[in-house]
Amino acid sequence: MINFLLRRLLNAVPTLLLSSILVFFIIQLAPGDFLTPARLNPNISAERIADLQRNLGLDRPVVVQYWLWLTNMLKGDFGLSFAYQQPVLDVAWPRIVNSLYLVLPYFVLYYLISIPLGVYGALRQNSFGDKALNVVMYILLGFPSFFLALLVIFGLLQLRYKTGWDIPINGLTSDNYTSLNPLGKFLDIAKHVAVPALVLAIGDAAGLTRVIRGQMLEYMRADFVRTARSKGVSEFSTVYRHTLRNALVPIVAGIGGLLPAAISGAGFIEVVFAYPGITPMILDAINTQDLFLIAGFTMLTVFLLIIGNALSDILLSVVDPRIRYA
Amino acid sequence: MKKALFLALALSAGSSLAAPFVLPAAWMAENPSQAKAGGEVRTYSLSDYKTLNPFTSSEADSLPTLMASVGLFTQDPSTDKFIPYMADAMPVVSNNNKRFVIKIRQGMKFSDGQAITADDFITTFKIHTDDKVGSNSYDSYFINGKPITLKKLDNYTLQFDFPQASASAYSRMGGLTPWPDHVFGPVYKSKGAEGIKAMWSVSANPSTIVSPGPWVISSYQAGQRAVLKKNTYFGEWAKDGAGKPLPYLDTMSIRLLKDLNAGLAAYLAGQTDTFAASKADDLAQIKRAIDGGNLKANLVPNVSPNATSSWIVFNWNKSGDVAKQKIFRDVRFRQAMSHIANRQAMIQLALGGLGSEVYTGVYPVFKNYQFDSTPKYKYDLAAATKLLAQMGFSKKNAQGYLTNSAGQVLEFNMATNAGNTVREQLGRIFTDEAKKVGVKVNFTPIDFNNLVDQLNSKGANRPFDAILLGLSGGDNIWPYGSNVVPCGGNLHSFNVPSDGKCLTPQESLMTKLYFQGDQTLDDDARRKIGEQLSKAEAQNQGFIYLVGTNYHVTYSSRLGGEYKRNLWDAYNQARPYAHLTTYIK
Repeated sequence: MINFLLRRLLNAVPTLLLSSILVFFIIQLAPGDFLTPARLNPNISAERIADLQRNLGLDRPVVVQYWLWLTNMLKGDFGLSFAYQQPVLDVAWPRIVNSLYLVLPYFVLYYLISIPLGVYGALRQNSFGDKALNVVMYILLGFPSFFLALLVIFGLLQLRYKTGWDIPINGLTSDNYTSLNPLGKFLDIAKHVAVPALVLAIGDAAGLTRVIRGQMLEYMRADFVRTARSKGVSEFSTVYRHTLRNALVPIVAGIGGLLPAAISGAGFIEVVFAYPGITPMILDAINTQDLFLIAGFTMLTVFLLIIGNALSDILLSVVDPRIRYA
Repeated sequence: MKKALFLALALSAGSSLAAPFVLPAAWMAENPSQAKAGGEVRTYSLSDYKTLNPFTSSEADSLPTLMASVGLFTQDPSTDKFIPYMADAMPVVSNNNKRFVIKIRQGMKFSDGQAITADDFITTFKIHTDDKVGSNSYDSYFINGKPITLKKLDNYTLQFDFPQASASAYSRMGGLTPWPDHVFGPVYKSKGAEGIKAMWSVSANPSTIVSPGPWVISSYQAGQRAVLKKNTYFGEWAKDGAGKPLPYLDTMSIRLLKDLNAGLAAYLAGQTDTFAASKADDLAQIKRAIDGGNLKANLVPNVSPNATSSWIVFNWNKSGDVAKQKIFRDVRFRQAMSHIANRQAMIQLALGGLGSEVYTGVYPVFKNYQFDSTPKYKYDLAAATKLLAQMGFSKKNAQGYLTNSAGQVLEFNMATNAGNTVREQLGRIFTDEAKKVGVKVNFTPIDFNNLVDQLNSKGANRPFDAILLGLSGGDNIWPYGSNVVPCGGNLHSFNVPSDGKCLTPQESLMTKLYFQGDQTLDDDARRKIGEQLSKAEAQNQGFIYLVGTNYHVTYSSRLGGEYKRNLWDAYNQARPYAHLTTYIK
């Protein structure tokens, strides 16, 4: 196992290096730079733009910029955000934490919805319940989550008008958040996170439910399940110990992707709900070509992806006795 | 002891003599005596705040400007003249309008209770003009590369020396907000520009932030909310018409809502008190909520045009295609293109009926710079056909496009930035109308940054035919873009040769008049120059101005303290900046 991890670590070095090159230069391929909007400002002179270029280091050759960035990164310095004039991690970290508040409940809900529904669909294949679920799932699969979110916001607004309840429709906290006690703070955040997390989980669960249902159906017809049944193993044990455990193997393999997903935020849903997560900030950074904020954050996710993949390999060996790392 | 006593006496005499700034009651819709103190206004911002540092902030509604949009002078919205604000009186002007000696109002204090004196202005000015700091105000203190200087004559007297007379002298001086010397001065002395840049980030402890203006930061949650609280020292020297301290409110909270739809939802839900409505759909939803009794708010659409316009610019520097260059350089062609622009259709179809026609670079909101003598080449296809025929394009080919005797088809490429649906629609409307008179326009939306690179290119052969884009901003003091109107400016986009020289006598005249007006301090004399400049600019049609959006006002019925209705426009807004006079009814 130690040997395996060491090999993994060694593999990570060229992966990280290569991805840093790709990340940096692909961003550079886009036309224009952080100062492009300034060039269209009738009140900013050409000399001033040259000054800013010098201050931001944008006048240096791209290769030099890359080398400085890379060497600084080895020292743990991901560079300064152009827009915030602050170290990238200082700027991104509070946003990542906010995103975690949303993404973690989302993960829980995601599996809590899709695994039971997938199992149910397989056990009661072609029953009315299964068919009804299939229809809903297919509709959800073709439904962009941000659109679902917009509908939900519209619905919440109407509910507010009808009932006068103070239902949060956006953000992470209420106006009076700072004056609340710890329990109140927790409940306040929970109230704000609940709707976007649920919308996201329901929208995404459609895909996973289908996968689990298919996997279960496949394994329920496998020889070892028939053997277990004929041995007289209880139905519960057959379904959950023998079938589900095998059906979950591809899902466990995908868990490695959760680690970077956890910090890269919940995507457009954050924008639609005006949630202060990382996605709106990264979208801003991409729009304004805030080079180091995009590049630094991308490198962070690549790094977490490598760790996550190693973790899911370890988990796989726990779930699946056939897998061993010698 | 004697000296200390004298000092104490002088100080008390000083503060008792100090007259406060009084915000004229005549500006306001309601009598100031109706205003109540206390309460909170809840606003929103679509972009995240980047910094609390006044020297590095670069956005329009940044936290430093919201906290303290105060300076020596301010513009009277009813007359457009400057009046003293932090200055005690209008300055003594000498040396051919180049020297301004200004007495600072006494008794002003920062939010930490320290007096605001000349030193604060001097230190602020020094830091803004240090090019290593990278302040956004840097340019304001240089004229044609020559620095404006600021000297302290005594603790309450400043002297500005301009390198030349300037139309914008009062707005340049008035824009100088004094930040505390006792906070920034020592850091600047010991650590220089780098030390200043590292100060007052958004994560700074709010108790370390000191403001000279009506508000000071109370808390900031990244990406969520900024809360400003009243600076009580401000009201000691800034009063309303009834002698009550300003601002009335205790708190201004600003939600950070990245998405415009989220902003609208919050407003419709009554969670915010203001909304900057721009789209027809948004206005319709607000109206429906008000009519349905779900939202208690005021809504006034189409208050005035915004200080913005879209335009089409033709490239005069096209040595690679001399035939096209000749067409683009012909003023008759450009006037014909203005005749082709169906501005009413553009407003109805692309702006949902909420827009205004624009004919010159002086946006119609700057009412004091609109002149009857400025020619307007209005929508008139017959006039366009006639002008094009004069240029030799009188026959139509098999496809219905105009050709000249040499067989050249009247055709050009036009680009705008992809993703901007309004501009894409404007381009299509223009293309359709052009086809009616036989002009072939190949319209393609391309990437924004690519487009700006093309527009900013210099030299004899620049890589585009025509670009549809827009600019915005400006003031009503000298509303001509400094890098748009004169030759050599980087946004003088129709003609940017390497040497920046003018090509036509009209351009030379525009350049001359621009600088002449820019160096005229007297308002009336300057407006006379503006009349000639507007005429020359419109005749030249370097930019074919099309349409601009309109300004709409909506706010919760809880709020009072807005300007008189006739003062509302996109430039003055509907109430003084940063809710200075807003109160809760």
